[in-house]
This record gives sequence, structure tokens and C-alpha cells, in this order.
Amino acid sequence: MKTQLSITSEAIDEHFLITDRETSVSAGAVIVFQGIVRNMEDGVPINAIDYESFNEMACHQFELIFEDIDRQWPIESVRLVHRIGVVPVNEPSLWVEIIAAHRSEAFAACQFLIDEMKVRVPIWKQPQQLP
Amino acid sequence: MKVSVKFWSYFKEHTQCAETTLNLPENTTLGDAHSAVIDQFPVLIEMKNSTLKAVGVEYQPDDFILSEGDEISFFPPVQGG
Repeated sequence: MKTQLSITSEAIDEHFLITDRETSVSAGAVIVFQGIVRNMEDGVPINAIDYESFNEMACHQFELIFEDIDRQWPIESVRLVHRIGVVPVNEPSLWVEIIAAHRSEAFAACQFLIDEMKVRVPIWKQPQQLP
Repeated sequence: MKVSVKFWSYFKEHTQCAETTLNLPENTTLGDAHSAVIDQFPVLIEMKNSTLKAVGVEYQPDDFILSEGDEISFFPPVQGG
């Protein structure tokens, strides 16, 4: 399984990521998930979220999750970008792409990846409230 | 032995520092180190049960035996995505 991981303070460039996509002739499913910053956090209006990452450990934990995925499903590739720093409302903080032969394993792997990220990967958010 | 301790997320605000050093006896466990940190920063006791603990880049249990130079991290539940 091919993997590509980026934790970056740069805005996520989805156009570039899609242009850069590589699929084999046996790929039948491409799942893309984006996590977008909402304008409310726990009922409070916000204008951004400031993400903090323990980068070295976050990368390691993502790699462990990728290994778990590789053991469980026949996935061709996983690409993940997590933006850190201040991410304004309506912009993506997370971009995930899973490519597989069939949709069932692609959806399952995508769900697993995000569920595991939310309990294992040391990234935290600090909502930025409107002045 | 000396080990370093890093705090992440709002633990840094509670302790008002990002990192500290502990001098501990040999064979000290991670749980013992956590207790020593709470003695130093009592504000962390409220989050004791939800605190996640890592040594280096791996999560470790309370009975993990620490070694000289270990880099410990304490932090609240993660919130990526």
C-alpha cells in the first residue's frame, strides 16, 4: 500500500492533490474526505480553529494507523494532509484520499482512519472566537 | 536519573510551561512520574484520569519503567480532524 502523509501549516491545495493523484488500472474506487472548520464550536460562534500538533508523534501514530489499514483491507493508496495552525471557518483542516479496487474497503478504511486519528494522533484544537 | 517532561495543548497553559525535568530514582514507572508531576503542578490533578501519556512517540501504560533520558509527554485527549 502506498502512503503519503503531510502535516503542514500551509492551506490544503485540493486542486494540486487531485492533479497529483496516481491510480492503477485495477483501481475502482477513490474516496476523498475533507474535514472543514465549522462556524460553531460547542454552540459558540467562532471564526477559526488553531490546531497544535506534536508532529513527531503524530506522524508516527498516523503511520501505525496506515499499517493497521494495510493489514485489514486491500487498499492501493492512502494520502492524508492535516493542516495545523490557524484554519479559518469554511476551510479544510483535513484531507484524506483512499484508493482501492472496490468501494466497500475504501469506505471502511477511510472511516477507520478518521476514527483512529481522533483517539490516537496527538493534534489538538483551540477555537478562535469572534471579537 | 533525569527525564524530560513535555506538556501539550491546554496542559501548557495550566502549568505555564511547555517542558520540565524530573530527577527520579531508578526503575521509576511512568505512573510514578505522573504523580511527581502532579505534586509539582497540582492543577493537573483534575485531569489525572483523562491524561494521555507517551514516552518518545509511543503511548505507554502506567507500569512502564522509565530510563535515563526518556522524553515523557503528558497531554489531554486528542482532537485532530
